[in-house]
Amino acid sequence: MEKSLFRYIWTHSKRDQLIVCAVVLASLPFYFMSLDLPRQIVNQAIQGEAFRDGNATAPFLNLDFAWPDWLGGGSFEIFEGFQVGRVGLLFGLSSVFLLFVVINGGFKYWINVSKGILGERMLRRMRFDLFSMVLRFTPEALRTVKSSETATIIKDEVEPIGGFIGDAFITPIFLGMQAITALAFIMLQNIWLGMIALAVIAVQFTIIPRLRRELLRLGKQRQLASRQLAGRIAEVLDGIEVVHVHNAHSWERAEIGQRLFTLFTIRLKIYNRKFFVKSLNNFLAQLTPFFFYAIGGYFALRGTLDIGQLVAVIGAYRELPPPLKELIDWDQQRLDVQVKYDQVTQHFAEERLGPLLEARDAEEDQPLTGSLVGEDIRVAGPHGDMIIEGGGFQFELPASVALISNGGAAASIMARILARRMQEFSGQVRINERDLIQLPASVVGRRIAYAGVDPILFPGSIRENLIYGLRSKPISRSAEDKREMDRRIAEAIRTGNPIESIADQWIDYERVGAENEGELDRILLDLLNRVGMGDTIYLFGLAGRIDPERHPALAERLVEARQRLRETFQSNGMSDLVEPFDPGRYNTQATIAENLLFGVPVSDEFRGRNLAENAQFRSAMDRAGLTDDLVRMGLQIAETMAEIFEGLPPGHSLFEQFSFIGADELTEFGAMLRRQARGDTNLKREDRTRLLSLPLAYIEARHRLGLLDDRMMSRIVEARGLVREILEKTDAAGVEFYDPDRVCAAAPLRDNLLFGRISYQVANSRVRVAEAIATIVREFDLLEDVERIGLDHQVGTAGRLLSAQERASVNLVRCLVKRPDILVIDGALAPFDEARSQQMLQLLLGLFEQQSLFMVLPNDRQANDFDVQMRFRDGQIITQKTAEPAPRASSPEPEAAQRIAGEVA
Amino acid sequence: MTLETEVQSLRQVPMFRDVDPARLKLLAFTSERVQFSDGQRFFSQGDPSDAAYVILDGRASVLLNTPGGDIQVAELGSNALVGEMGILSDTPRSATIMASEPTTALRIDKRVFLELLAQFPQMSLAIMRELAKRLERTNAQLVAQSSS
Repeated sequence: MEKSLFRYIWTHSKRDQLIVCAVVLASLPFYFMSLDLPRQIVNQAIQGEAFRDGNATAPFLNLDFAWPDWLGGGSFEIFEGFQVGRVGLLFGLSSVFLLFVVINGGFKYWINVSKGILGERMLRRMRFDLFSMVLRFTPEALRTVKSSETATIIKDEVEPIGGFIGDAFITPIFLGMQAITALAFIMLQNIWLGMIALAVIAVQFTIIPRLRRELLRLGKQRQLASRQLAGRIAEVLDGIEVVHVHNAHSWERAEIGQRLFTLFTIRLKIYNRKFFVKSLNNFLAQLTPFFFYAIGGYFALRGTLDIGQLVAVIGAYRELPPPLKELIDWDQQRLDVQVKYDQVTQHFAEERLGPLLEARDAEEDQPLTGSLVGEDIRVAGPHGDMIIEGGGFQFELPASVALISNGGAAASIMARILARRMQEFSGQVRINERDLIQLPASVVGRRIAYAGVDPILFPGSIRENLIYGLRSKPISRSAEDKREMDRRIAEAIRTGNPIESIADQWIDYERVGAENEGELDRILLDLLNRVGMGDTIYLFGLAGRIDPERHPALAERLVEARQRLRETFQSNGMSDLVEPFDPGRYNTQATIAENLLFGVPVSDEFRGRNLAENAQFRSAMDRAGLTDDLVRMGLQIAETMAEIFEGLPPGHSLFEQFSFIGADELTEFGAMLRRQARGDTNLKREDRTRLLSLPLAYIEARHRLGLLDDRMMSRIVEARGLVREILEKTDAAGVEFYDPDRVCAAAPLRDNLLFGRISYQVANSRVRVAEAIATIVREFDLLEDVERIGLDHQVGTAGRLLSAQERASVNLVRCLVKRPDILVIDGALAPFDEARSQQMLQLLLGLFEQQSLFMVLPNDRQANDFDVQMRFRDGQIITQKTAEPAPRASSPEPEAAQRIAGEVA
Repeated sequence: MTLETEVQSLRQVPMFRDVDPARLKLLAFTSERVQFSDGQRFFSQGDPSDAAYVILDGRASVLLNTPGGDIQVAELGSNALVGEMGILSDTPRSATIMASEPTTALRIDKRVFLELLAQFPQMSLAIMRELAKRLERTNAQLVAQSSS
């Protein structure tokens, strides 16, 4: 990026700047005319100056141009105007005034919008440029760059720069012209008074910036300090576990407190300085009139200066300070922004960045096979020691290669070199006479895959993470509204952004050998099954949701399967395992809330305790006459909870797991109960709401407090209709109601299949139901559909919603699915136990018979399965061909029938 | 049947006789009431011990797995506590328990049970007392056997 902010702005927006500037200049005459009009209306029309000589009419809209005196005077008439009467002149001039108001308003609107857009475009460009530079950070820079600081820079720090850009050139020109005009006028009136004004301005313009230098230094400090604050907060959050483990809360609090104090101190200094400069500035501005009055008055008294001239000069000077002041303010802003810009460009300094990302399409894209030659490879360690010292090797690819670690870093470093993850080594690695380092990034991305110890996942679904490697460029444009597309692309070009849309078809189906989405899913699922993640995906799928509008056929089959499942339960004597949802019956295995809603909440205001505060739900309860009963149940629950959880320390896990009432609420409910016991039966409104919220989560079969009798249950069932009616009438789309013949989109797939609740009372019911579901899924051939839904499972931030093994599996499959010529595995199997990783190794060897597999092994126990063994000793690389690769065990195929049993709920 | 009746049942169990009623209520509340059909196993010999059971209603037989097949060594009726030794000693099940008629039992989860013991010393004392009594009885039986 350019060193100077102004050069950056000018390079990328000169055309827009000039246009806006021109319009500003064009608007000026109108502005001045509108200033003059009120005087004309008062003097000429109302006070009747135009009719002073007894004229009945006066010219209106006459345009004449008076030459200034110093050009000889005289006037030149362009248009003589209309002769109108007094009232006519008044309305005429007023209308012209109105016209100018409208014109000025229009100019102002256009200028403001254009400046805003100009600023936004530049902001977009700047942010995008910065982000492009983020992608170019070198590995060394990445060691010191903090992600959160970079994020703050791109998001917050450039924001004021964007706001300034619209004013960068226009304001100084505009205000400068105003100031120069006023100054010139003063000069014309009296050269000496003009010189005084000029002298004071000169003082202003030399002293003030000097005083502001300190302000700039403080501004710089403040920017760095607040950036570091953001970085520190993110660090603490990322390492929160360590903070908890070592009970470092106080220290961290003090740390942040210290930073805030520093920030405050800097801010305080800035304020002091800033307002001091400001008042000095104001003082200097007022100093000029003092000179005018004193010196000008003196000359006037002496008779050397005409009083009229003095008054005119003072009048003109009154026009001078506002633009001057704004100009100085602008200058201040400019310096602020320049400092910010400098800080930003320092963060993205040239030496921290790698080479520019090359053009996407590479000319040569041939398979990476043939002889792999390593020559004189030298890698220095962090302490100057040599990790690899002049190692070399040569063998034919494709091959499976074991990089056997000697306990040091050499094997892993070699793996990174081969995967082109590391470029800081001397020597050369060639594949079929092509230098590995010289390979274009597109070829590397496509033909080499690297799975390291740390599986990096992005938030999103499992599927999105798996196909991440297939999205190197858009394959085809998706249909897009033409006008909207043109607009998007035009904007992108104007701001140096990419013109590709993420809505385009980016997934390279061809590369994985799939024709469409469905086939790709099948390939993904097959690979996931092979790495042993099939069960998990199946369970994710059962917990997932389907959209019946997008998959109508699947929805239909689910309803069929649901009915069959019911029949199976009935015919096998398992009907007591699941209590089905029945519109006309109370479900004792479900909560009272669920029984009342007979559906699944979609919006938060219908979930959990919020339901008790929902006005529609409450009015339904009132109308059903259930409010008092629910409050009474709430009281009973509160009483029982208070009794049985008494004496447990707050925060005890049993509270969380079993109690209706949190430990922190126990005292409040206790007080409520005591009030009740004293005979104070009038509960407050919010107390009633809180009590009412308790029984909503009550499940008769599970909690067994005996709160519900048959009559109560049937009343709740009756109230269902009322709830539904009221919710539907108010059009509150907060609940998706159950329908035995339709899929409920808000409920998980498992619930849709069961369409009921598993009994709490029957021993071992969950496992038996899971088995029954698995059978039905198989019978209806739903397994693939379920697993497909499982692919939609969200992995969470950095994949934290998955276990370490699941993350590793996803990472591995992400590498496998793009079918690389070379796969480098460097610790990616670490989360698996010995048996699993042995299994994986065999699987990978089987999958990569036609391609090359490099794998870092901790010892040579499994090295005999590979074609080539590479050992590292004293900085030397010793390669040897395995004499007779052990016959490979056929990769174990998981037994499908056994696979899908698992726990279901 | 509600929580109250379960608490009554728990009170009949010697091990819980001296425990505070509020604690018993907590124990009952944190336990699950489960039904076993005739012939359904509570657990099998060798399974990991994950819960203890109090039979609320019905009967169950204690089976030992021998080379000659399962043999019944005892039968349990209402208010019997079973499986508590396994969760206290953290050893696998030493016998199989099978319902010999439709049976309702209270399933006391191991983790919850141990947490309650850790939280309320009075409960632990009651359990220790019961265990000591059992040991004493066993000793007496041993003496009786060796002297006969």
